[in-house]
Amino acid sequence: MTNTPPDALLALTDVNTFYGQAQVHFDLSISVPRGHIVCLLGGNASGKSTTMKIILGLVKPRSGDVTFDGASLLGLTTPQIVRRGIASVPEARRLFADMSVRENILMGAFVRDDREAIAQDLDKMLTLFPKLGQRLSQRAGSLSGGEQQMVAMARALMSRPRMIVMDEPTMGLSPLYVDRVLELIRTINQEGVSVFMVEQNASLALEIAHEAYVLQTGKIVLFGSARALKDDPRIRDAYLGGSEAA
Amino acid sequence: MSSWLDYTINGLIVGNVYALVAVGLALIFGVSRLINFAQGSIYLVGAYIGWVAVVQLHTPLPLTIIVVAVAAALVGLIIERFGLRPLQNSVRIAPLLATIGISFVLDQLVMLTFSPNPRALPSQLPDVRFQIGGGTIGPLDLLIAGVGITSALLLFVFLRYSKLGWAIRATAQDRDAAMQMGVDVNRVNQAVFGIAAALGGISGLLVGMYYNQIDTAMSLQATLKGVVAEVVGGAGNVPGAVIGSLLLGLVESYGVAVFGTSYRNLFAFLLLVVVLVLRPNGLFASARQAPPEPLTGTFIAPSRPVRIPRWALLIATAVFAILPLLPVSFYVLQTLINASLLGMLALSLTLVAGTIGQVSLGHAALLAIGAYTSALLSLTFSVPVGLAIIGGGLMSAALGTALISPSFRLRGHYVSIATLAIGEIVSLVILNWESVTRGPIGISGIPPLSLFGYELVSPISIYWFSFIAMVVLALLQGRLLGSHLGRSFRAIRDDDIAARAYGLSLNRYKSLAFIFGGFAAGVSGGIAAHLYSYINHETFNTQQSILALTVVILGGLGNVVGAIVGAVALVGLPEVFRIAAEYRILIYGIVLLLLVRFRPQGLLGTM
Repeated sequence: MTNTPPDALLALTDVNTFYGQAQVHFDLSISVPRGHIVCLLGGNASGKSTTMKIILGLVKPRSGDVTFDGASLLGLTTPQIVRRGIASVPEARRLFADMSVRENILMGAFVRDDREAIAQDLDKMLTLFPKLGQRLSQRAGSLSGGEQQMVAMARALMSRPRMIVMDEPTMGLSPLYVDRVLELIRTINQEGVSVFMVEQNASLALEIAHEAYVLQTGKIVLFGSARALKDDPRIRDAYLGGSEAA
Repeated sequence: MSSWLDYTINGLIVGNVYALVAVGLALIFGVSRLINFAQGSIYLVGAYIGWVAVVQLHTPLPLTIIVVAVAAALVGLIIERFGLRPLQNSVRIAPLLATIGISFVLDQLVMLTFSPNPRALPSQLPDVRFQIGGGTIGPLDLLIAGVGITSALLLFVFLRYSKLGWAIRATAQDRDAAMQMGVDVNRVNQAVFGIAAALGGISGLLVGMYYNQIDTAMSLQATLKGVVAEVVGGAGNVPGAVIGSLLLGLVESYGVAVFGTSYRNLFAFLLLVVVLVLRPNGLFASARQAPPEPLTGTFIAPSRPVRIPRWALLIATAVFAILPLLPVSFYVLQTLINASLLGMLALSLTLVAGTIGQVSLGHAALLAIGAYTSALLSLTFSVPVGLAIIGGGLMSAALGTALISPSFRLRGHYVSIATLAIGEIVSLVILNWESVTRGPIGISGIPPLSLFGYELVSPISIYWFSFIAMVVLALLQGRLLGSHLGRSFRAIRDDDIAARAYGLSLNRYKSLAFIFGGFAAGVSGGIAAHLYSYINHETFNTQQSILALTVVILGGLGNVVGAIVGAVALVGLPEVFRIAAEYRILIYGIVLLLLVRFRPQGLLGTM
């Protein structure tokens, strides 16, 4: 799985990551084709969230390469990576709880300097997430989980990213919001933003993804188009801890 | 004759000055969860730069303020870039210790440049007082109020409307998330240190003008007051810091009005302890907020202690035991006596800091309690000195534990602040409780060391006495740490929540550690009292607490042998190299900085 397709926007190649002595990733290779939604599935402690952190430069791999649009991201700081065009929706949203909803959304445009365009984009977010309109001056921390997820997505879009990485975007949301969030991810993608998302909930993720990878204790054990994986019995195995899980 | 209105005005003016320090501390704490113990040193630097500008360069007042702000900001930027940024991925205690080291270095540099003698800092303003109501107010009061209010407004606008201000607020709330928005956290840190230092420097200038006097002792006081105000307002809360400062100014001013000047600081620290005990998140913290700093385990550098074979220890002990029989000078013995006294204090601190994670910055208070108890027992009640010293140890154990117990539920930085305050309170109580402690006069004519009726006056006998006391305490402590109790202590240090889940009663174990540690420190203080024959409230000061901490870090937190090696090294090496006394504190500061940067686990490793 080491050969990177030429149209890959983001590619991880043979990444090995360690926390102290413990190895988290074993020759991890993932690629996200331009314009696609790619999903990384895996149970607890499979190394999913660390994959997010590798992409964002919050954790440095010991070996391997991470490229975005053909250029390596290794050696760049997180803010520099964000400026290359990768936005993130972190696990558990991570809003700035004491800042207002408006300030949170505008923080997403921190890397931009075009004031008028930012104002236009804010209006655009309010049409995409109409519920947030009435909440703009409220403390972000006072919103419900679903509303917070909307703010986090709007915040990520404000940087006009070429790609969004999301860590468990449906975690802890009510079923109503889960559908809404998935719908929004699809909409965002249709507007040309590539999406890489980490999920535990395989059936939901496979509904919207183009391709998916299954990560088990740091190794990719399964890869394919979402359509093919949906019917794959091994998906189930990987989720229930599987017999070959070591 | 001063009226209540005068005291109120005075309190608010002084509060404004504190606010300039406290707001900087709050900004820094917000962004990097660090209590900057060097803030007072920047304030000191500001005052002296102001003095140079006013007295030597004769700059007009507005220019003086600008010069001070810019120069202090530069100092802040240097501290951030070279002192703290290299420690970003280090353990949590590292930056705290680094700011302490930096403050030592800065204070000493100022003292060496300008001498410790106080200097007058004229305000350049006309000396007139305007009547308002029943009180008076002068141009300097108005200037201070004006600077305070203007700074607060500028800061508010900056944080609320500028891009960098947003970055600062976002970083304070969630550092990782801010980075994922593209915020360069290093730039934020820089900005915050620059602003904090500029405000701190201006504060030093204004205080110098207000009292028309500056001296190098201002530094620690300013840090302490700033920290009090900040914690009262809620650590990291900028508006809270302003209100906390004004409250502190008023409490002090009214306290002075009722009880007298020497009570000023006592009120400040009592306010701090009350707030820490009742509302550790500050007066204005929302109930939602998580308990402060769940950071046990990561606070102290983990490492594998260096194993020293038993025979090597035995040989070393034997060599030191027979040392006085060899032809060594009185001077060497004197140095080693000092080292053993410091060693006992370090044993005590390494127990409470290294094994239950309570990094105390007020440990000298235990010395003071032991010293006063032993001195008074032998002087007033004619108790034999040997017994009086043990009495001092017991009193330190009991009183020290009782005083510290309110801070048992605090963690990390808060323990350090609380112990610092408790240390100051002990010193202030000694100063003010004249009927028992003889107040500022101190206790003189303390009988010399004696054992079973024999006076120990020769350096050799004093050496043996203190050496044996230290070795016995070290052996006891070694036994203690090797036992089941020692393991429980370390479990609490590494993760007090997990330790609690296993059924360990935190308060009981913390008390036990402080009882044992208090005894060792009390014995050290007791011996010192009889050795010095004169003590007062300043004999055992914060500098000694910090020195003890440096020794403990040098040896390796929790490491018994390390504490003794550290004490001998820190007391002995300056003597060996004949370093002049005024450079010693500077050396200690630099040692602390180098250790934190390059060997945070100390020479022999943490346990």
